[in-house]
Amino acid sequence: MSMATSGALQAKPVDSEAGSEKPVGRSAFHLSARNVTVRFGQVVALDGFTADIPRGTVGLLGPNGAGKSTFIKAALGLLQPESGSIQVGGLDSQSQSLQIRDDVGYMPEHDCLLPSMNAVELVSYLAQISGMGPRDAMQRGHEVLDFVGINEERYRLVRSYSTGMKQKVKLAQAIVHDPALLFLDEPTSGMDPQGREEMLDLVRKIGSSDKTVIVSSHILQEVERVCDFVVIISNGKLVRSGETRALVAGEEGVQALTVRGDDAAIAAYVKAIGEICEIMQRGEEGRGQASLLLRGCGNGKAVFRLARDSGVQIRNYRPERLDLEEVFLRAFKGGAKDGS
Amino acid sequence: MGVSPIQYRPWNGERTAQNMRVYVILRSVFRHGLKSIGVKVLLLLGFFLMFAFQIITVVLSPHEGLEADEMNANMNASVLAIFAMLLAAVVTSDLISEDLSNNSFVLYFSRALKIRDYLIGKASGALLIMSILCIVPPLLIAVVATATQSGDDYWSSLGVVGRTIVAGALATMFFVPYGLMMSSFTRKKSYAAVGTFMSFFVLTIIAEVFSEFATEWIVISPIESFVYSFDWIFGQALPSYIDKGTLAAFLTLFIVLPAAVVYVRTMRQAVGK
Repeated sequence: MSMATSGALQAKPVDSEAGSEKPVGRSAFHLSARNVTVRFGQVVALDGFTADIPRGTVGLLGPNGAGKSTFIKAALGLLQPESGSIQVGGLDSQSQSLQIRDDVGYMPEHDCLLPSMNAVELVSYLAQISGMGPRDAMQRGHEVLDFVGINEERYRLVRSYSTGMKQKVKLAQAIVHDPALLFLDEPTSGMDPQGREEMLDLVRKIGSSDKTVIVSSHILQEVERVCDFVVIISNGKLVRSGETRALVAGEEGVQALTVRGDDAAIAAYVKAIGEICEIMQRGEEGRGQASLLLRGCGNGKAVFRLARDSGVQIRNYRPERLDLEEVFLRAFKGGAKDGS
Repeated sequence: MGVSPIQYRPWNGERTAQNMRVYVILRSVFRHGLKSIGVKVLLLLGFFLMFAFQIITVVLSPHEGLEADEMNANMNASVLAIFAMLLAAVVTSDLISEDLSNNSFVLYFSRALKIRDYLIGKASGALLIMSILCIVPPLLIAVVATATQSGDDYWSSLGVVGRTIVAGALATMFFVPYGLMMSSFTRKKSYAAVGTFMSFFVLTIIAEVFSEFATEWIVISPIESFVYSFDWIFGQALPSYIDKGTLAAFLTLFIVLPAAVVYVRTMRQAVGK
């Protein structure tokens, strides 16, 4: 008897009215949560969490205790939400959790490997528990170990591995059964710079296939590099979500300006510019230079004219561009609107 | 192979059924267990001390048929209880404690595997190892005795063979749930093994103390109740102070309660509570 579930996960569009966040330009969602609440006694781990996570490489961000792991466990059907529902590829996380888990790979953050096995035994053992036949599991085990770059060391016991090698084996066991959805929890944790590059490269390769890869990480630069969609969680709620490109592009009509000149001229210029534009943020000032974040300056001609009249030199005038760290921090301050 | 990493390739095979996944865990536990020196020593020692001589005796001594009381004596319940207890302590000690200490539950339960199936797989592997000592040699004695009997009442002998299988099955499963329960309480397998062995003796001592006041308390001693259950299975008379209902209830409780505790402990660990 066999249970043919490979490829069973089909993304289905969700009701656009149902969620408050809606990614742009993506017709199919792979994972969606609707008003999910999970409690551990008095602690509310997820508080009416609603999000649509599309196909692709998605960053799941949030401070410690934000609810990221709880969300992953609820999506795998390991936790029963008090209310709400999670759909993974159109399957319900509670009533169809086994079907979901057949097509999900999970790379945990913490050390979890069985130290008394070597990498080949471990990966092929877990492949068989995922439903592969022994021959397939062994062949596939070798393939994914090749893919992650574990070479002859694969015949050594896992307990002798370095942290970087363990991370690679964890990735190998997560992808060995060829899941459609992959959760990677801090994939570069404890790795040296070269190892991190290799790991990010692997994540990028996997993400370039038709799979959904959800990367939970504290290293925002890495998320920005590999993820094309970002979901930010705090206190069990969705804070922001959207395409990375849109989030880091900043708000439309916001310009970053840097001017140089003597301090008195700069002060006069800033005062004058404040009358025609909204100064959102004043950066570094003094030593003959000032940086401003402006909104509502139109086509910018007035900015240049005032500079000429005030005797200051414009060094930089361009649309605002953020990095993900800034997006993350602003999301917690409530300082920007949804990038999607 | 392994010099130049290949690219990521899809897998298009069909997934196996759930019960095959239980078998994967069973096979892994069985193989891993048989690699253990402690298990090998106990199996060999148990076989040679308890059964090797009996097999030779059965072959060499003329007998008309296989008698229940002889078979009960051949199984040597009190010694078998000690060996079964030791073997269960060694075999089950690392089954759950190792997954606890390595945080490996997540590797199992992020896959399409129920907690029940995980536990069935682990317990079945342990039971299979236990059966090497508790079922196979007694059954060998019973079969050899039946095959070499001079009388022609084979039905009676086969009845005793059946009783031998039941007694062997009880010996196989009597200590495993308890051992698993101890394994689910600690991250160190040595604590689990010692805890299993010691707690049996603590129960035995408690039973001895209380039976001074009321003899029926002896039933809470795992070793004593194990011996009485063998007498019962082989149709021997039980002492007047042993109530069959109480004995059956204790045997059931001793197997079912630890199994339930293991299930709850594992479920809580699996969801990180």
